Amino acid sequence: MPHRVLLSATALMALMIFSLVVRAQNTVPSRAQAGPPPGATSKVADLSGDWAPDPKRGGIGQSLSLSDNGGRQRGNETDIPYLPWAREKTLSERSSTGPDLGFASTTDPQVLYCEPPGVPHIYLWPIKTKLVQTPEAVYILHEYGPFFRVVWLNSKHPEDPDPQWWGHSIGWYENDNTLVVDTIGFNDKTWLDQVGHPHTEQMHLIERYRRVDKNTMELDMTIDDPGAYTKPWNARRNFILSTTGFLRYQQICSVKENQRFFDNLAKPAIKK
Amino acid sequence: MNGNSTRTVGILFALAFGLVVARPVLAHHGAAGLYDVSKAVMMKGTITKFEWTNPHNQIYFDVKDDKGNVVHWIVATEPPQVMLERGWTRRSLKEGDQVTVYAFVASNGAPVGNLQRLVLPDGKELSAR
Repeated sequence: MPHRVLLSATALMALMIFSLVVRAQNTVPSRAQAGPPPGATSKVADLSGDWAPDPKRGGIGQSLSLSDNGGRQRGNETDIPYLPWAREKTLSERSSTGPDLGFASTTDPQVLYCEPPGVPHIYLWPIKTKLVQTPEAVYILHEYGPFFRVVWLNSKHPEDPDPQWWGHSIGWYENDNTLVVDTIGFNDKTWLDQVGHPHTEQMHLIERYRRVDKNTMELDMTIDDPGAYTKPWNARRNFILSTTGFLRYQQICSVKENQRFFDNLAKPAIKK
Repeated sequence: MNGNSTRTVGILFALAFGLVVARPVLAHHGAAGLYDVSKAVMMKGTITKFEWTNPHNQIYFDVKDDKGNVVHWIVATEPPQVMLERGWTRRSLKEGDQVTVYAFVASNGAPVGNLQRLVLPDGKELSAR
């Protein structure tokens, strides 16, 4: 009899443990709880320097698609797993540059209204990027705007972040040469690139800034947005070290300056 | 700035920006009909003003046409921050400089355009690309 009780108790306990394990496997961890993984290291990768788009490896490009950097297959790229609405949205946009551009009807909000390009769109501009590393945070500075982002180290995302242009970023170091940046909390107002790929507030962007050698940095990105794409997809930007100086002139989008440019150089060219 | 002019600023900005980032597809820019990017037009003139400014630098110069009339031209370059990378400064041009300008010009004949390169009196060439 004692044996039967023991067996029953053991079976019940096993069932409870199994149940807990299954439940744990079926529970998607909150992004707010996501933080540095076990592989994170305390060694700080040296990413110092001014980083310019590498003209020999993709340059600035038009599209984030790895198979279509020039944006010639917009809407039909083999590596972008669109949801139907996202494909339709992409095809409905009018790019300001690239092969499908439509100057007279561009819908790019950054070009039309001086809105922040956001990330990763900022990396398709002819500008340099500087990473300022401190123990508490990495500050990513851009020559255009000038905009900057704060990547909080040793931190977690808030439980319910307010949707914002640049999202909320946390980061950690891996493999002695890589900074991983994990960002959520985006609004849905920016394009991902020059050719109009959309995203939603659900976007979870993971960036890996890896210093390959003294003069080279690679940025691998994973775009995980179940609101717009059926599965995560990858993109890359390549950078070279620049020694000409950072932010020698502030490239600011000003409506007043744009108006003057319009009056002087656009109006006369439009007249029939 | 009304909606149309805001949009057109975007159009022109996009045109110039596109020239920075999308040189392999320049031919497509001609579809806009604003500038003829199939060939650069050469002009000899005198600098009257050089504005080093966002969103694009503006170069003012006078050119005499076939009838001897003075035509006031304006051509744009990329933003100062980009032109610094290409060796330009705000002092690269000054009033009175006699220059030879190569530019994509408006398709409708208006005296405006997008600078490709410029030659100074001493023969020094400044590339806008």
